[in-house]
Amino acid sequence: MPTFVHTEKCDGCKGGDVTVCMYICPHDLMALDTERMKAYNQEPDQCWECMSCVKACPQQAIEVRSYADFVPMGGAVIPLRTDEAIMWTIKFRDGELKRFKFPVRTTPVGSIDPYGGKPEAGDINSQLLFTEVGQDMPTIS
Amino acid sequence: MSEAEFGKPEIVEIETDILLIGGGMASCGAAYEAKRWAPEGMKVILVDKAAMDRSGAVAQGLSAINTYLGDNTPDDYCRMVAADLMGITRDDLVYDVGRHVDGTVQLFEEWGLPIWKTEDTQGVPLSEGGKPVRSGKWQIMINGESYKPIVAEAAKKALGIDNIYERVFIVKLILDANEENRIAGAIGFSVRENKIYIFKCKSMLLCCGGAVNIFRPRSIGEGQGRAWYPVWNAGSTYSMAAEVGAELTMMENRFVPARFKDGYGPVGAWFLLFKSKATNGFGEDYMTKNADMLKDFAPYDTAIVVPTCLRNHAMLKEMKDGRGPIYMDTPTAMKKLAETMTPKEVKHLEAEAWEDFLDMCIGQAGVWAGLNIRPEESRSELMPTEPYLLGSHSGCCGIWVSGPDDLGAPDDWNWGYNRMTTVNGLFTAGDGVGASGHKFSSGSHTEGRIAGKNMVKFAQDHADHKPALKADIDELVAEIYKPVANYLEHKDKTTAEDINPEYILPRMLQMRLQKLMDEYVAGVSTYYNTNKVMLEEGLHLLEMVKEDAQKMRAKDLHELLRAWENYHRVITAEAHLRHILFREETRYPGFFYRTDFPELNDADWKCFVNSKINPETGEWKVFKRPHKDLVEKHYG
Ligand SMILES: Cc1cc2nc3c(=O)[nH]c(=O)nc-3n(C[C@H](O)[C@H](O)[C@H](O)COP(=O)(O)OP(=O)(O)OC[C@H]3O[C@@H](n4cnc5c(N)ncnc54)[C@H](O)[C@@H]3O)c2cc1C
Ligand code: SF4
Ligand code: SF4
Repeated sequence: MPTFVHTEKCDGCKGGDVTVCMYICPHDLMALDTERMKAYNQEPDQCWECMSCVKACPQQAIEVRSYADFVPMGGAVIPLRTDEAIMWTIKFRDGELKRFKFPVRTTPVGSIDPYGGKPEAGDINSQLLFTEVGQDMPTIS
Repeated sequence: MSEAEFGKPEIVEIETDILLIGGGMASCGAAYEAKRWAPEGMKVILVDKAAMDRSGAVAQGLSAINTYLGDNTPDDYCRMVAADLMGITRDDLVYDVGRHVDGTVQLFEEWGLPIWKTEDTQGVPLSEGGKPVRSGKWQIMINGESYKPIVAEAAKKALGIDNIYERVFIVKLILDANEENRIAGAIGFSVRENKIYIFKCKSMLLCCGGAVNIFRPRSIGEGQGRAWYPVWNAGSTYSMAAEVGAELTMMENRFVPARFKDGYGPVGAWFLLFKSKATNGFGEDYMTKNADMLKDFAPYDTAIVVPTCLRNHAMLKEMKDGRGPIYMDTPTAMKKLAETMTPKEVKHLEAEAWEDFLDMCIGQAGVWAGLNIRPEESRSELMPTEPYLLGSHSGCCGIWVSGPDDLGAPDDWNWGYNRMTTVNGLFTAGDGVGASGHKFSSGSHTEGRIAGKNMVKFAQDHADHKPALKADIDELVAEIYKPVANYLEHKDKTTAEDINPEYILPRMLQMRLQKLMDEYVAGVSTYYNTNKVMLEEGLHLLEMVKEDAQKMRAKDLHELLRAWENYHRVITAEAHLRHILFREETRYPGFFYRTDFPELNDADWKCFVNSKINPETGEWKVFKRPHKDLVEKHYG
């Protein structure tokens, strides 16, 4: 299910060094055509349809069109993600729409304090991880 | 960038105490743990080929955490894992994950991951007695779209952003010049800038996930990116470890998940949560029907949960005998549930079914939408996929590591530092650790934490050691940029640069590898069958692929990435092939068949198959190591 970019929506991330879609794609697929300042998928047959780029694009310019080798035309799956929830729109080939909304996170983005209120490191020769200080580790009975 | 610049990358050298390669679940766990144990001034650096927020297998998210013990014991966990993997697992490693994993899951919740709770404990965190909603004995349900960004945030904060290098692909590990069998560093290149990175370190974690796209996929053309496991994990873990002489284990094992056809959407929730049944084309339950056939693989056939490979074996029997297609009977399951539920509850259930796809395999939702499939109305086809190599999901190939020393393991199972490979200072976790599958996301993170702590110990114990690279840097740089040189040298000799007798496109090399693995090494086109003659023929062809890998071209940094990914695939594929050739029995029917040795042979083969490359000569050695149960096993 390769991604495609709507020409009129993409603004090339306003000429920044690295566009949001280029930054996020785990497979290095999104590229920027610097002449047109528009992004495109440079290797569509390597796309995992993970939608990382779709969810992250500030202009909602990216969509996914299901793989042509096995999916009939006309369906669509479109995410709209905020920091707290994601809303999915599923469009069937026959036109029916379904919508689902799921929470994505219970804390504000950027709020994790990894070691706040956690124990200091203990005995490095024990089996205990630092958060397990004072616990008894079971062994095979 | 101009041609002259492209040919001559800038070289950046970085020295650190600890180097974490990969930014997935395991490495994020290692970062979190190592940084806490590291004394003032000890440097920890992480390098990832992608962006940590969405890198690795959890990029899309997950809809369940598959390893949370709760009221189960680590002993039971060892039994379940051993049963699913047909008896050959390392109880010390599995037990170790089991006894630490719940605390890690509780951290995820604290960081912000939404975990479903039972009606009576809504809003109560796991750490305070909240009861998770289980979809099986070991799995708990989550709203996991942001699982990876959450876990990555904690790791990034722990390390500090200055210690993280994203978009750097590691190509090779480098041994120490002064001490034998000791890791000293790694070399890779930036996918964004014309730069080569050389890292020197005292201890190193290698966690680059499993291996995908080694076999010809079932999809053709545009759909080839639709692998079940993440298409971007290319076997870097296994190949780079093997090349510095680390001992591998169980590389013959593979995972062939039976999933919804084409989209490869998860079926676990359908089986476990919705109690759906799978049938052949004529509505027969093929598990009941073929129960007798599975007796050939006793005692594992009577395990509480029938091993995944045996379930495939029964399914393949129907397919081979022409009784397909295989269906997941979702309408009957939904109807049954509706008998005891209110319409509102049924609606909720339907949302859960879709969420299972949308949180970890969005493409499957696209398949259903395109085919007008509504699970309450129409059945869906199932299909076993092409093979994947991995050590953290329902498979157990990987690297042979030292385990914990307090679980009564034999001497050759531990040599000092927990999760250290047989190369001093080189550690691994997650998909990297062999003979201990079923760790999944939570267990991989946990195992990364175990490794992280032990790496600090190693770096401390060797505080005075100065790593020195056993390599000629200029030669290494030239080797990494060889595909670029091949391109620049030959591109103008033909009128269409993609067809050139002097070089091969990384993409075509990948196809050659996939075709031979498929045809000779038990891929989908032979219904996962192979034998000694086929394997030897395959090895012969593979050796020529390896030679031609020197002739890949790269016209830009993106293609250079593809070239080296495919090189890693080739080495990983070779390990897989050599192990299958060595194990003369059929241990995992349904995953692959040695047709010349069609039976399970516990007497001769209930042992680990390990292998090792001699880093000086490149020669492979494959050999047995004895297996032992540390936890008493009963199947059924
Ligand atoms: C479809 C699917 C469904 C799953 N379902 C579940 C589930 O329901 N529950 C569950 O608990 N688990 C599930 N898992 C399993 C879980 O995701 C894995 O067990 C876990 O992510 C493994 O962790 P890892 O760190 O070993 O690898 P990964 O998380 O894959 O990380 C590998 C990292 O290495 C980096 N990398 C790769 N090569 C290089 C290189 N050469 N140089 C630098 N960096 C590199 C990658 O970018 C990535 O950051 C599922 C996985 C998939 C794909
Ligand atoms: S992130 Fe969106 S707007 Fe930015 S370049 Fe990519 S497609 Fe265009
Ligand atoms: S959907 Fe995923 S794999 Fe495809 S281009 Fe976007 S980020 Fe990359």
